[in-house]
Amino acid sequence: MAFKRDKKEEEEGTGNPFQNLDKTAVLQEARTFNDTPVNPKKCTHILTKILYLINQGEQLGTQEATDAFFAMTKLFQSKDVILRRMVYLGIKELSNIAEDVIIVTSSLTKDMTGKEDLYRAAAIRALCSITDTTMIQAIERYMKQAIVDRNAAVSSAAVVSIFHMTKHSPDLVKRWVNEVQEALNSENVMVQYHALGLLYHIRKSDQLAVTKLVAKLTKMNMKSPYAVCMLIRIVCKLIEDQNSASAGDTSPPWSSSPLFEFLESCLRHKSETVVYEAAHAIVNLRRTSARELAPAVSVLQLFCSSPKPVLRFAAVRTLNKVAISHPSAVIACNLDLENMISDSNRSIATLAITTLLKTGSESSVDRLMKQIATFVSEISDEFKIVVVEAIRSLCLKFPRKHAVLMNFLSAMLRDEGGLEYKASIADTIITIIEENPEAKETGLAHLCEFIEDCEHTSLAVRILHLLGKEGPRAKQPSKYIRFIYNRVILENATVRAAAVTAMAQFGALCPQLLDNVQVLLARCQMDSDDEVRDRATYYHSILASQNKQLVQEYIIEPLTVSIPSLERALHTYNVHPSPTPFDMSSIPLATVVTSDVTEMADRLSGRTPNSIGTGTIETSPAVTRVESYYEKLSAALPEIASLPGALFKSSTPVMLTESETEYVVRCIKHSFPNHLILQLESDQYIERSAAGKCYRSIRDPRRLRATQGDPHSKVGLQ
Amino acid sequence: MKLFGKLANILGIKKKEVKVLILGLNNSGKSTLVNHLKSEEDKVQTIIPTVGLNIEKFKYHNVQFTAFDMSGHGKYRDLWEHYYRECEGIIFVIDSSDTLRIAVVRDELDTLLQHPDIVTRKIPILFFANKMDLRDSLSTFKIVSILGLERIDDKPWHICASNALTGDGLQEGSEWITQAICELLK
Ligand SMILES: Nc1nc2c(ncn2[C@@H]2O[C@H](COP(=O)(O)OP(=O)(O)O)[C@@H](O)[C@H]2O)c(=O)[nH]1
Ligand SMILES: [Mg+2]
Repeated sequence: MAFKRDKKEEEEGTGNPFQNLDKTAVLQEARTFNDTPVNPKKCTHILTKILYLINQGEQLGTQEATDAFFAMTKLFQSKDVILRRMVYLGIKELSNIAEDVIIVTSSLTKDMTGKEDLYRAAAIRALCSITDTTMIQAIERYMKQAIVDRNAAVSSAAVVSIFHMTKHSPDLVKRWVNEVQEALNSENVMVQYHALGLLYHIRKSDQLAVTKLVAKLTKMNMKSPYAVCMLIRIVCKLIEDQNSASAGDTSPPWSSSPLFEFLESCLRHKSETVVYEAAHAIVNLRRTSARELAPAVSVLQLFCSSPKPVLRFAAVRTLNKVAISHPSAVIACNLDLENMISDSNRSIATLAITTLLKTGSESSVDRLMKQIATFVSEISDEFKIVVVEAIRSLCLKFPRKHAVLMNFLSAMLRDEGGLEYKASIADTIITIIEENPEAKETGLAHLCEFIEDCEHTSLAVRILHLLGKEGPRAKQPSKYIRFIYNRVILENATVRAAAVTAMAQFGALCPQLLDNVQVLLARCQMDSDDEVRDRATYYHSILASQNKQLVQEYIIEPLTVSIPSLERALHTYNVHPSPTPFDMSSIPLATVVTSDVTEMADRLSGRTPNSIGTGTIETSPAVTRVESYYEKLSAALPEIASLPGALFKSSTPVMLTESETEYVVRCIKHSFPNHLILQLESDQYIERSAAGKCYRSIRDPRRLRATQGDPHSKVGLQ
Repeated sequence: MKLFGKLANILGIKKKEVKVLILGLNNSGKSTLVNHLKSEEDKVQTIIPTVGLNIEKFKYHNVQFTAFDMSGHGKYRDLWEHYYRECEGIIFVIDSSDTLRIAVVRDELDTLLQHPDIVTRKIPILFFANKMDLRDSLSTFKIVSILGLERIDDKPWHICASNALTGDGLQEGSEWITQAICELLK
C-alpha cells in the first residue's frame, strides 16, 4: 500500500517540496531577512524551511542559530500578519539554541499588549520561551495583565506559558497566583481549564492545599466541562491517596465521603464528556464494591446504545476493562453488548465480543467465537491482539474448550499479521500448552505448521526451542523431526542454528531417534554458516560419545552460568595462561529472570493498564549491564583488574543523591571473595573537595583508598 | 518649503523607505524621541525602559522611516552591532544632563565609529543633545568638544539640542538626517 502511494506521488510530482533541503543553503537564504523592504512572502517561505529543518532533527550550531535569530528580528519591521506569526514560531524554536534571545523582549511585549489580536497570544508564548528567571521582572507586569485579559486566547496563552516556565523555574509562578485564581472564575471553558491545571500543578505536592482547592471547587459548579474532568481526576487521586493512607482503619467508608459524592454527582452532569470521565474514574478506583460501581456501570450501559460511535466505543472499551476486575457488574450490560456485536464499527464489535467472552459462561464460547470469525480478518492487529488476549484467559478459565480455541488460534496464525500479533498468538498457545497437558499435542502441531511459513526469525527461534524441549517428551517425537529439519533446509542461519539445537535434544532424549538425528547433524556440518556448523559438530560429537553424563550436562541441561562472566573469564584465561585447567565453577550463575513471569501473571489477572496495549516482549539486560560496568572499570584501572578471585556479583546501581540535586552520584557494589569494590559514579562535575568529602563519609577510612582522583572518572575504592 | 520640494524631488525617483538606528545610553530619551515622531494614532502614553529593541515606523514628509530603537542598557549595548550593516543613518541620543556618564558616551561612540561595519562608510550621524530643558544640561558646543566630534571627517554629522518630551529641536534634526540620507542615495 505504502509503496503504491509513494510511486503515485512521484509520478504526479506532489512529493514533499522540502525533502532535499540543505541546512547551509537555507541559512544562507535567511540573509534575505536583512533586506529592505521586507518581502513577506519570500521570508515566510524561508522561515518555513528553517522550522522544517529544525523539526526534522537538524542540529544548528550556536553561531548559526544566533545569526538566523538576529536576522529574523529584523522581520518585526513587516506588518504582514502571517510573517509575524511565523517569526513567533521561529523565536520559540531558536530560543534554546541562539544567544541573546532577550533582544526581542520589548518587541514581543509591544505585540502582546497591542491592538492586533492576532498577535497577542502567540507573542506571549514566544515571550515566555525567551524569558528565564533573571529576566522575569521585565515581563512580570505584562503577564499579570495577560492572565486576566478579557480575550480568552490571550489569557489561556499566558496561563499555559507560565505552566511551561515552571519547568525551569518552579517558584516563579507564585507572583501570579492571585491572577491565576481569578482566571479560574473565567467564563471561558479553556481558560478555566488551563487555570485549574496550573493551580493544581503548583499545589500538587501539598496534599492539604489540594484538599482545600478540591473542597472549594467541588462546591463551585465550574462551567467548563474540561475543568470538571480535570477536577474528577484530581479527586480520584485524592481518594486513592487517602485510601492508601487509611488502609485498615475503621473510619466511615470512603464511599460516603463528599469526594465520592462529587464523583457520583458528575454522573448526572449535562456534558457527556464529564459523565464519561466520572464513570471511567469510578470503575477504575481501586477499592470499589458492587454498590459504588452500579451507577457508573449503568451510565456506561446507556452509552452503549448511543447513536454516537465515540460514546459507544468509550463505553465498551471501559466495560472491557471492568470485565476483568468486576465481571459480575458487567453482566448487567450483556444484552447491550450482544447488540454491539453487529456494530458497523469493527473496533466496537471486537471489544463487545471480547468483553462478553470474559464474563460469559462456557456454553456461550462456541457461539461468540463463530461471530468473531466472521470479521476477525477486517480488524487491525491491535484489536486482533485484544481478541487473542481474550482467548488466552478463556482457555485458562475453561480448559475443556481448548480444542475450539486452539483451532481458532491456528487459523489466526495462518492469516497475515505483524510480529507483535503473531507473537501474542504463539505466546498464548505456549501458555495453553504449559497449563493444560491435554492441549500439548495439538498446540505443538499448530506451532509446527506455523513455522513452516513464518517470516519472523525471533518467533521461529522461540518455537524451535519449545519443540526441542517438549517434542522429545511427546507421544510420538519422530513426527516433529521433519518440521525441524525442514528449517535447516529452508531458513536463514539463525533459524537453522536453532533447528540444529532442537534436533540435538531429540537425539539426546529419544534413543530410538538417535541414529537418524546423527545423520541429519552430520549433514548440517556442511552448512555454509559457521554457527550452524559449530553447533552441529558440537552436538554430533557429544552424542557420538554415548556418554550419558556429557549428554545430560551439555545438551539436555542448558548452561546455567552467566554468559558475560564466562566470556570474560575465558578471555582472562587466554590472556594470562595458567597451568591449571580453566575452572568452570568459578563463574557465577545467571540470575533467573522473573520479570516475564510476573508480567504474564499481571496480564492474566488483568492488571495491565491498557488492555489494547501491545504485549511487549521483555528481555532483561540488567545482568549484562551491571557486569559491563565492572568491565569498564577494570579496563580503566589495572589495579582492579588484577584483584585475586573472580567477581561474585555486581549490584544494580544505587542512587546516593536525591533525584533533583545538581549532581548525581550512583554506587555499584562489586563483590569479590576477599574484596568489595564500591564504584561511585557521578554524571556532573564535582569539585575535587566534594569528592574528597565523600570518601570520608564512608565508615572505615583505613580500608578505603582512592585509586584515582580525577572527579570526572570513576573513583575506585578498595 | 523649499527644502521639502527638494526632498520630494530626490526621493520621487529613488526609494522612499529608509532604515535608521537609534543609539545612545539607556535613559537618554531614545524611545521618547521616537514616540514623538510617530503619527498621533501610533503614539503610546507611557514609555517604559526598552529591553532589546523596538522597531517603529514613522513618516517624515513623504519618507518612510523604520527606526530600530535599541536598548541602551550596559548589558545590551553589545547587541547594537547586529543592526549596523543595513542601517542607512544613525541617530545618537545623549542625555545632556547626565554629566556623570558623558565619558561612557564617548567610549560607546568610539567603539561604534571603529566598528568594521561603520568605519568605512559615509553614513550620516545625527546627535541629539537631549533633555536640554533640564537645568544642568550641557550645551551642544560643550558636547561636541567632550565627545571630540570634530574628528569625524569622513561621515556627515550634525548635532542639535532637543527636548523629546515637547518635541523641541526634533524638527531640525529630522530635516537634516532626511536630507543627508537622500544625498547619499542619489
Ligand atoms: N526632562 C526630560 N526628560 C526626558 C527627555 N527625553 C526623555 N526624558 C525622560 O527620560 C526617561 C528615559 O526615556 P526613554 O525614552 O525611556 O530613554 P531610552 O532608554 O533612551 O529609550 C523617561 O522618563 C523620559 O520621560 C527630555 O528631553 N527632557
Ligand atoms: Mg528605550
